[in-house]
Amino acid sequence: MRELELYFGPQHLGMVGNFSITLSVEGDRIVKATANPGFLHRGFEKLMEMRTWIQDFPLVCRINVIEPDSMEMVYAMAVERLAGIEVPERANYIRSVVLELARIQSHLFGLWGYSNLLGLDTVAQWAMYHRDLVLDLYEELCGGRVYHIYIWPGGVRRDFPEGFKDRIVKTLHTIGNSVPDYDSAFFNNRLFYDRAAGIGVVDKEEAKELGAVGQVLRAVGEKFDIRKVEPYAAYDKVDFDIPTREDGDAYSRIWVVRDEMIQSVHMIFKLLDQMPEGEVYNRVPNPFKWKVPKGETYVRVESSRGELGLYMVSDGGDKPYRVHFRTPSYTHGLILLERLLEGASISDVGNIMLSSYVVAPEIDR
Amino acid sequence: MDKTLPEKIRENFPNADVSSVEEERLAVTVPKEELIDILSFVKNLGFDHLVMVSCVDWIDEGQFELVYIVTSYVSYNGESSGKGRQHIIVKIRIDRSKATFRTIIPVYQNAEPYEREIHELYGVDFQGHPRLTPLLLEREYPVPPFRKDFDSRNYVKEFFDSIPEIEEEK
Repeated sequence: MRELELYFGPQHLGMVGNFSITLSVEGDRIVKATANPGFLHRGFEKLMEMRTWIQDFPLVCRINVIEPDSMEMVYAMAVERLAGIEVPERANYIRSVVLELARIQSHLFGLWGYSNLLGLDTVAQWAMYHRDLVLDLYEELCGGRVYHIYIWPGGVRRDFPEGFKDRIVKTLHTIGNSVPDYDSAFFNNRLFYDRAAGIGVVDKEEAKELGAVGQVLRAVGEKFDIRKVEPYAAYDKVDFDIPTREDGDAYSRIWVVRDEMIQSVHMIFKLLDQMPEGEVYNRVPNPFKWKVPKGETYVRVESSRGELGLYMVSDGGDKPYRVHFRTPSYTHGLILLERLLEGASISDVGNIMLSSYVVAPEIDR
Repeated sequence: MDKTLPEKIRENFPNADVSSVEEERLAVTVPKEELIDILSFVKNLGFDHLVMVSCVDWIDEGQFELVYIVTSYVSYNGESSGKGRQHIIVKIRIDRSKATFRTIIPVYQNAEPYEREIHELYGVDFQGHPRLTPLLLEREYPVPPFRKDFDSRNYVKEFFDSIPEIEEEK
């Protein structure tokens, strides 16, 4: 059969996000796939080298639109390590709560995209509605719905408002109460099984060889989670489970996402119960004259898509000398996706891409 | 942290400069000829996860520093053993004016996109890399844009301050 070249995205109905793939196809089988990122390249790492430590904060959250909080967290952690700043205990708890809320809203956003793709639009609308409820909480907390600029070096920008805990609990109850609806309409739906089972299968060895993290790795039965392996914020104070599956296909990956959301909800309840009173912010030096000691560091957090790391070098000046983000989508989108698409059908491109959680702004940075 | 690890590295690589940057982070600077050997060595020790490849432009010293960060995949099994926290930051220096080096894809497959990015943003040529094609950038730049001597302000002024002429199609 004749081999054709097909441009899939960025302007394509089946493509979500600013990302494109060039497919060589025979009939509807993909022979070779080439990922083309770069539609969102904004050069953040270079921009950050030209701004002071504190000026980088409004920038760093904009790298990833969907989940800005873990970006802020990883940057704050790197600066704290280099400058030797301690974080108050209460701020650690608040950070964990905010990061878990971010995980829930990011997973709901992912579920929106994924169920839209399968044609289950009702579920997509629910997910978007529930995500909006979480964004309302953020709006109350820091004024911004999408970009929060909330986690600073030395703590968080301000304490919870009066009665905020109750509103978190109320929102999470609303979301939690609709889990049976989600289950019957989506997760136990025959359509979902038929479309996702056996699609984009990756085995354990290959996943590790290609640097997979997050759901992709947990869907092959590997309990790899930075929150457990190298705890940060208040994650070593609470008990939670790491959901895994064995099959390594799209179906397993989306189930892992569902189970993770439920774990996050339970974890937030525990964190709110245990949260101590006290300061939320350790003062940093005057930001205009702030010089961070010479050194280098690598820190990592578990974002909603997997290991998010930051390599930072300081030359002792008032600006970072080099920042380099290791984003989970980078390896997932550039080599794992290309590998998974080989031999797949054209109709499964979006399925494979969204189930392995490729987010374009993270790749381009 | 495994206390014997620095010893093991020093024993096998006498030219390596091993220092502990901070808790759980070990920095190893080696001559560039030994990089592939040391990466294979630590991979055999269980450091099977290449986290990232980065590049730092030390313009005052006329050198690029290539940074390879490795750690291990650890399955969590009920207790936090502290194993798996350890990272090795392997660093080499290459000449800035003659920026070529070998690829490490034979050791770690997922180095491929990182090396492609460094090739594009810093102009480092990785010999043996299967495709050093453009990855992120839209157009050609006079100097690779992430180098410290790339004048962004000047570039923006020249490139975006005027409305570019539209070429008529013939």
